[in-house]
Amino acid sequence: MKNNSNIIELQNIETIYEGENIPVIQDINLTIKSGEFLSIIGPNGAGKTTLLETINGLLSHTKGNGFVFGREILKHKSQIRKEIGYVIQNFELDPLAPFLCKDIVMSGRTGKIGTFRLVTKKDWDKVWYSMGLVGMIDFANRPIGKLSGGEFQKILLARALAQQPKILLLDEPFSNLDIASRTQVETLLNRIHEKHKITIIMVIHDLSFIPTRCNRIIVLDHGKIIMDGDKKSILKSEVIQNIFNGNGRK
Amino acid sequence: MIEFPLALLIASILGALLAGFACSTMGVFVVRMNLASIGYLMSHAAFAGAAFGLMIDIDPMIGAIIFSFATALILGPLAEKARLQSNIVIGFLFSFMIALAFIFLNYIPGQAASARALRILWGSIFSVTYNDIFLLTLLSFILMIFITIFYKELLSIMFNRKLAESSGVNTKLFYYTVLFLTGFAVSLSLRIVGGLLVFALIINPTSTAYQFFYDFKKILIFSPLIGIISCVVGFWLSVISDFPIGASIVIISALFFASAIAVSPKRRKGNGKKNKTNIRTVTL
Repeated sequence: MKNNSNIIELQNIETIYEGENIPVIQDINLTIKSGEFLSIIGPNGAGKTTLLETINGLLSHTKGNGFVFGREILKHKSQIRKEIGYVIQNFELDPLAPFLCKDIVMSGRTGKIGTFRLVTKKDWDKVWYSMGLVGMIDFANRPIGKLSGGEFQKILLARALAQQPKILLLDEPFSNLDIASRTQVETLLNRIHEKHKITIIMVIHDLSFIPTRCNRIIVLDHGKIIMDGDKKSILKSEVIQNIFNGNGRK
Repeated sequence: MIEFPLALLIASILGALLAGFACSTMGVFVVRMNLASIGYLMSHAAFAGAAFGLMIDIDPMIGAIIFSFATALILGPLAEKARLQSNIVIGFLFSFMIALAFIFLNYIPGQAASARALRILWGSIFSVTYNDIFLLTLLSFILMIFITIFYKELLSIMFNRKLAESSGVNTKLFYYTVLFLTGFAVSLSLRIVGGLLVFALIINPTSTAYQFFYDFKKILIFSPLIGIISCVVGFWLSVISDFPIGASIVIISALFFASAIAVSPKRRKGNGKKNKTNIRTVTL
C-alpha cells in the first residue's frame, strides 16, 4: 500500500483487450491529487474510456503499476470501486424497462452497503439527497425508460453521487444533452466539486463545455498521453486546434 | 374427468404450484438477462440427463439434475471465455444436448424405460413424488431467501451489469447463481411440466407481469403469482379434459400472456411520450 497524497497513480500502464494484441492505451504515467478536477480529451478511439475503466479496474491493465487510494488496482479492485462513482456513456435502455428512478439511484449504493446487508433508512436519505442535488427528486417514482436523454443522464449522476464516492469518473456526461441540460449538468458538476471536494475525472468531447472548476486537461491520442497541463495553456495550444479543428470534434 | 385418490391429487396440485413458483421466479431474471432460450437448453439438458440416468439404471431425476447443473456451470464461463453471446453458446449446447439425449435413448434397455424417458419430455400428473415436492419446497425457500438478501445486488445487475460491477458488486457470482438456480428449477419441474414445455413456464408468467409493471419489485411478486395460477388452472384443465398437464399449463400461461399484451397499459398509445424536464436543483 502506497502512502502519499496522490489519490491515483499510474506508472507505465498499458491495457490490452482480451483476445487482442494491440494496446488501447500504453505508457500511461499519471498522478492525480485528491480534489483535482480534470478532463480527458482526445479524438474517437484515443483510449479515453479505456483509461477510465483501467482506473476503476473494470479493465485489467496488462503492464505497469496502478494505484488508487494507495492500493494496487488489480489486487483491490472490488474495494476501490466502492469509493468510485462511475457514470458510463449513454447506453440504450428499453423504454419498458421495469425500474423506477429511485431504485436505480439506490443501486449505486449496492457495493457500499455491502453483501448480506439490507438497505436502511439512512441509505434512502442518501438517495433522496442525491436526487435533490441533480434536481430529479420529482422523478423518484417514474420509470427509468420514460426519461429523456438529459433526465436519464442526471439519474445516472445521482446514482454515482448516492455512492458518496471519493472519485467521480464521468464518461461523456454531456452526450445526448441539449444545450440547456448541458449547462445545468456543467453547473451541477462545478457545485459538487466546490462543495464536496470530490476528485472528478471527466471524459469530454466538446471543449466548449469543460466546467469552469476543471483546472487540468489531459490529451490522449492513439492510446498515449500527448499533453498534460493546466486548462488555459492546453486549450490554447496548436495541437488541440489541429486535433479538434476548433469546433470540439475531430 | 379422471378420478384421483385424494393424496395423489394434493401431491399433484402442490407439485404444480411449487413448479409454477420456482420457474416463474427464475423467469424474472432469465427474461431480463435476455436468456430466454436458456429454458430450451436447460430442459433438453435435463432430458439428456434423464435419458442418461435410465441408461445406467439410476433415477432419471438425478441424471436430469446433474446435467442441468453441469450445463449451468459450463454456460457462464464458456460465454465469457469464448467472448460469445450467451444465446450463441445456448444454441450450441442445446443441439449438443439433444444429440446426447438421442444417443442415450438408443442405449436404454427395453421399451418401457424409453417410454419413461419420453414421459419426461411432456410431463405427467402421476409422476410427482413426495421427494419432488420436498425438493421443490426447499428450492422455493432458497429462492425467497436468495432474493430477499440479495435484492439490491440483483436489481443492480438486472439494470446494467457493467454499472453494477463498477459499484463493487461481484456480478459474475450472481450471474452464475442465477444460471445454477434456473437449472435446479427446470430439473425439479421436469416430471410435472415436461422438458418440452418447461421453458414456457419460465418465460410466459414473467412476460405477462412485464406488461403491467415498471417496478421490479412488483414483477418479482406478480410473476410467481401468475406462474402459480397458470399451473393450478392448467392442472384443473388437464383433469377435466384429459389433456397432458404440461400442455394445459402452457396453454393457460400463453392465454394470460396474450391477454396481457392486449390490455397492457404499457402499450397504450401516448404512453411512450417523454416527460418534460422539471429542473429543481437543491441548494448545496
